[in-house]
Parts: sequence; structure tokens; C-alpha cells
Amino acid sequence: MKPILAVLLFTLASNLYAHQPVMDMAPRWNNGYGVQTRIEHANSETTTWLEGVYTFKPSLRMTLKVPQSNGEIGDAIFAMPIKRYKNAGAFTSNWGLTPSVRMPTGGGSKWDAGLSLSYSSESRKVYQLYDLYTLGDTTGVDINFGLVHADGKGSSWFTLWDITAKDSDSGQHLLSGPVLVYFKRNLILRAEYKFSAYDDDSQWDGDYFGFGVGLVY
Amino acid sequence: MFNKTIAIALLYALLSTPLLAQNYVVNVNGIVCEFCAYGVGKKIRKLPFIDPSQYDQGVKVDIENQRVFVALREDALLDKSALFKAIESGGYDPIDIQEIPNKESVEVIE
Repeated sequence: MKPILAVLLFTLASNLYAHQPVMDMAPRWNNGYGVQTRIEHANSETTTWLEGVYTFKPSLRMTLKVPQSNGEIGDAIFAMPIKRYKNAGAFTSNWGLTPSVRMPTGGGSKWDAGLSLSYSSESRKVYQLYDLYTLGDTTGVDINFGLVHADGKGSSWFTLWDITAKDSDSGQHLLSGPVLVYFKRNLILRAEYKFSAYDDDSQWDGDYFGFGVGLVY
Repeated sequence: MFNKTIAIALLYALLSTPLLAQNYVVNVNGIVCEFCAYGVGKKIRKLPFIDPSQYDQGVKVDIENQRVFVALREDALLDKSALFKAIESGGYDPIDIQEIPNKESVEVIE
């Protein structure tokens, strides 16, 4: 394993962001819920994710993500993010532990278990997220960090940089690139582009494009 | 005797004055983002004593200084416990609360 990847611990996932909790930032409030759709283009294939989240209380959420590609439903992922928040002045942070299960809704018979350990924090100007995960026989790391620009009138921009690394039976790859997130009250938009910084993965080819839109209530 | 009469009169006047609706500002730990504000505002607006005709439907969140302004209806009294619970259910930690006596004071505090 190359040094840059050796520090990160990885494996395989059929989808790049299959492990991530839906909408890490919101809804954070009791009995909050949200829906989101994301369109990803990678490996010459476009996948549409339909995602839902329900927040029982800030420390416990439930998420469901269902992929669709070429008109066919893929394997859905159900997760229960457990979060511990810390609020201090102009700073908020949380540690998250997320058990998950990937269900064979795409026609197979294999069930996969997953677990994610994450930390994210936000101040008035800076946001960062670190997520170490394993799902099935895959292990990977996601890092988001960057600046927050809030207008004080209900909307904000996040200009982030993303580093995504993955190790699997098929090899390793490292992607990196900019992410733009926009919030307006309960609307969330996310656009990202990641170039392939390192690719020794027989099942990965080229860059990644993603766009998502979500609503939380 | 004269002073005692004045004191009693003042006390009576004070006690007989109806409690005017006040606005309040709550210092809240960690409320730094617009979607934090959305969640907290959503919870506070459900409280029965909030006046939706003021601020943004009764609530204004100052993420620059981690403060939440709430406006009370004229005929309502503040239920501090309910207000703090609403903020907590929005995901944040209220620290303390201060009265804002009138609109002019709001301008000063802001």
C-alpha cells in the first residue's frame, strides 16, 4: 500500500459515498426529517441516490439511502447515526458513531454491515468533517474542510475541500477536489468535483462529479 | 408620615401596573450557522407566547454573537423553562436570558 493511503485504512464499496450519514449538518433538531437526492457521475455511470433522514433527537438519527442506476434499484443502506454534540460559545462539534447495514434490494442476497466513526466541527468561519468508515469489505476515509460564509439573513455558503480515500479488494484510490454547499433556510444544495489523485483500483476510472438537493423540516 | 404615604403610593402604582409584554434575548452556546438558526427558530415559533408579528415570525437569531431574540405576545408571560427546552430540542444549549424593555433597547443591544 502506498504511504499516502497507508495512513488511512481502507477497502471496497460499490458506491463512493455509500457509508456517509445523510446530511451530516441537518436536521439536528428533535423530530426533524429531511429528504435529499444526489446525482453522482463516476466510472462512466450516473447514479441517483434517494435519501431520507429522521432525527429522533440531536443524539440519534435514522437514515435510508437508495441508489438507482440505469433504471434499476441498487442496494439500499440503512444507518443509525449516534452523535454526541458539544456546544461552546461560537463553536459546535460532534463525534458520531454510525452502525449501518447494506441490504440486497438490488437483487442480490448479500447483507453487509458497516460502521463509521466521525468528527465534525463548525465555527462562524470554518467547517471540518473527518469520517473513518468500513462497510462490507471496504474501509475508507473522507475529509471535508473549508470556509463558511453566512449572510446573517438565513443563507450560507460552504466552500470546502474534500479528500476521499478508499481501499478495497480491487485496489486503492484517492480523490480530491472542491465542494460547494449552499443553505437557504431548509434548502440544501451541494455540488462537488473530485479528480483522481491516485488510482490503483481496477474498478475505478477517472474523476467524480456530484450534485445534490435536499429539504429538511 | 409623608414619605411613608409616598412609598405606599409608589408600591401600589408599581403592583397595579400590568406586566407589559417584553422581548428577550437568550445567549446560546454553539449557534453559529444558518441551519442551526433554522432549527432553533422552528422550535421556538411553536411556543404559544411568541408574537409572530415581530422579528422573523417572532424569532431572530444572531449567529454572529450566538444570541436568540424572542418577541412575546402582548397578553403573554414568558415561560423560561419552555423557551430553554425549545432551544435544547433545536440542538443547542441556552446559557442565560435578558429582558429587552422596548424597541429602542433592541436597537442598542443589536
